[in-house]
Amino acid sequence: MTWLLLVALPIASALLVSTTRGTRRASTVLLVTAALTSIVATVHAALPTRPAVLDGYLRGDATVQLFAPVINFIFAGIAVYVRARVATEPASRRFVFLALVFLAASNLALLSNHLLLMWIGIECTTLAAALMIVRPDAPASRLASWRYLVFSSVGLGLVLLGLSCLLRSMELAGHAPTLFLDAMPAAVAGPTNPWRELGIGLVVLGIGTKLGLAPMYSWLPEAYDEAPASVTAMLGAVQFNCALVLLFRVVHIYRPGSGGFITGELLTIGLASVAVSTASIVATRNFKRLLAYASINHAGVIAIGLGLRSSASYGLLLYVLSNAFIKAILFLTAGKIEAHYGTKDRKLIAGLIKDLPYSGLFLMVGTFALLGFPPFGSFLGELLILSALVTSGQMFVFATFCVLITVSFVATGRTIFPMIWGEPKQIRTWPQQRITDGLHKLVFFVLLLVLGIYIPPQLNSLMTQVARSLEGP
Amino acid sequence: MSPLLIAFVGALLLPLFAASWRLSLFGLAAQGFLIAWISHQVDPAVDTVGAWVAMVDLIGVRGVGAPLVLYAVLRAQRATARHDVLSPNLMSWTLAIALVLVAFRFADMVVPVEGNEHVFVAGATAGLLLGLLVLATQTGPFSQMVGVLRIENAIALFELGGRHRDPWMQVAQTVLLVATVLLFRWYLRTLPVSSTVKVSAVEGMTQ
Repeated sequence: MTWLLLVALPIASALLVSTTRGTRRASTVLLVTAALTSIVATVHAALPTRPAVLDGYLRGDATVQLFAPVINFIFAGIAVYVRARVATEPASRRFVFLALVFLAASNLALLSNHLLLMWIGIECTTLAAALMIVRPDAPASRLASWRYLVFSSVGLGLVLLGLSCLLRSMELAGHAPTLFLDAMPAAVAGPTNPWRELGIGLVVLGIGTKLGLAPMYSWLPEAYDEAPASVTAMLGAVQFNCALVLLFRVVHIYRPGSGGFITGELLTIGLASVAVSTASIVATRNFKRLLAYASINHAGVIAIGLGLRSSASYGLLLYVLSNAFIKAILFLTAGKIEAHYGTKDRKLIAGLIKDLPYSGLFLMVGTFALLGFPPFGSFLGELLILSALVTSGQMFVFATFCVLITVSFVATGRTIFPMIWGEPKQIRTWPQQRITDGLHKLVFFVLLLVLGIYIPPQLNSLMTQVARSLEGP
Repeated sequence: MSPLLIAFVGALLLPLFAASWRLSLFGLAAQGFLIAWISHQVDPAVDTVGAWVAMVDLIGVRGVGAPLVLYAVLRAQRATARHDVLSPNLMSWTLAIALVLVAFRFADMVVPVEGNEHVFVAGATAGLLLGLLVLATQTGPFSQMVGVLRIENAIALFELGGRHRDPWMQVAQTVLLVATVLLFRWYLRTLPVSSTVKVSAVEGMTQ
């Protein structure tokens, strides 16, 4: 029952923020709430799983135990960033209110034992995020926010339509239609039918839109580029994982009966996403957009990993968790760099390691992790996915994937490394950077290393359970 | 084909050929009312919470609320009467009619028997495809809003065929739709009528 605190605490805090005065106080409430939800999520992850509560609508299974601490912890890091920025760039009370609604809705989506309730949670995060993307001083951010809302509305509309098709397929097969996750495996037993395949197709396409997968990915570079850094991190590391959990749930339920269809769809959109993002990474001069395209690239890798069953599942989880911390580090660092240089043009930024040593350092380690260097978890994750591609006989996907990843590897390095180590273009004087400003990113970095070097037994056990559920019986 | 389905297809198609924002909003309102009418025909008893919520959603929000909110904004902006929701050329019109035919063909394939189910699938597929066509061909915020609301209506029509709907979930969905429409109102008031924002390869979007 205490899982409910993950939703109740942010809602109570949002109400508190709407009645208090002062931006600084509001950002303190945000930080304290995020810290508390992180503690609740971490404590519950260590306890045995409990039965569903609230008439079966909410439950805390292994997937929740794995993802809830991650997204709440990352949100706490974002709250630290927001609090640090209050001194120079005040976040409005409205922003803090929306961020708390976003957190409550994300946790609701994660805890849901009902696909429609998950959908409602993700839709709430979308409405809150759309308003947070808008920066008062940047008219272009309003257009980016609008495009984000349009694409999200269409994507989530397709998911809703897909869920209706899935219900119809259950009726057609003579089962009582249900969207309760624990009851669905029994309700989808039996041979597949066109409604089921249509439903799965629409759900995957719709959730793919939220994940930034091809073909409906074009909102992502604009939104990630124009949104404040904290919001980009929320979209990339928090909302992304909530949407991914919904996809995990659908794959877990439908893999036994429609595995071939799911594999075909996920491999196709995954490979297409890696291809379009690679071309864009090569072409862009805007380093924030490059990180956005890298996110599309990673979403593609995740779709490919999810499309395969067998040993890819564990590697996929390792990749997903690493990816969440990498995005949080990189997007928060990118916000700092843009604020200092006043530009997103990579050609005008050089010598970061001298100018902004901590930001330069985090950009460097974040990029190494992004590119899949050892000892980070992304390296092992990508290796396991590649190995599963070979063992499952997907040689065309393997070969294409390798070529595309190599190109994006070179293009990303060519863009980012001169920004870090190049000769500064002009002499600038910045206030001395303090390590305390980047403490949250340091913690993310340590967690990233932990995923690559030593996975604690408790975490390993959770990952194994979730991986098994993805592989199906 | 039932008269209600013919009327629904009319409400989907006619606003696309008449370049008027008033007619586009009238089309959206008509779709909401027609879905409510179809719902009433399928299940005349309005004696459960779910049935009342569905009526509020279909008549109150889709039939009256959403079109009225957008109408008020455009009227306050003194928008010119002409507004193309679809590019005014033979190609677009042919494509629109072809999509309706494809939708009916699709309905014939998945639901071979005439009846309510066939109406839901044919109408919803036509609404979805035409909504996507509007979104794919238009860049202005108003046209895109109309496209999204058309898709929302198509989903509502399709959902009529489902049973075992949880009333609380229906309430939550209706609240989310209201929130979305209110956001649309805000965007319509604050975004430029036509897209004057250019995308630069370096700095992203600039005005």
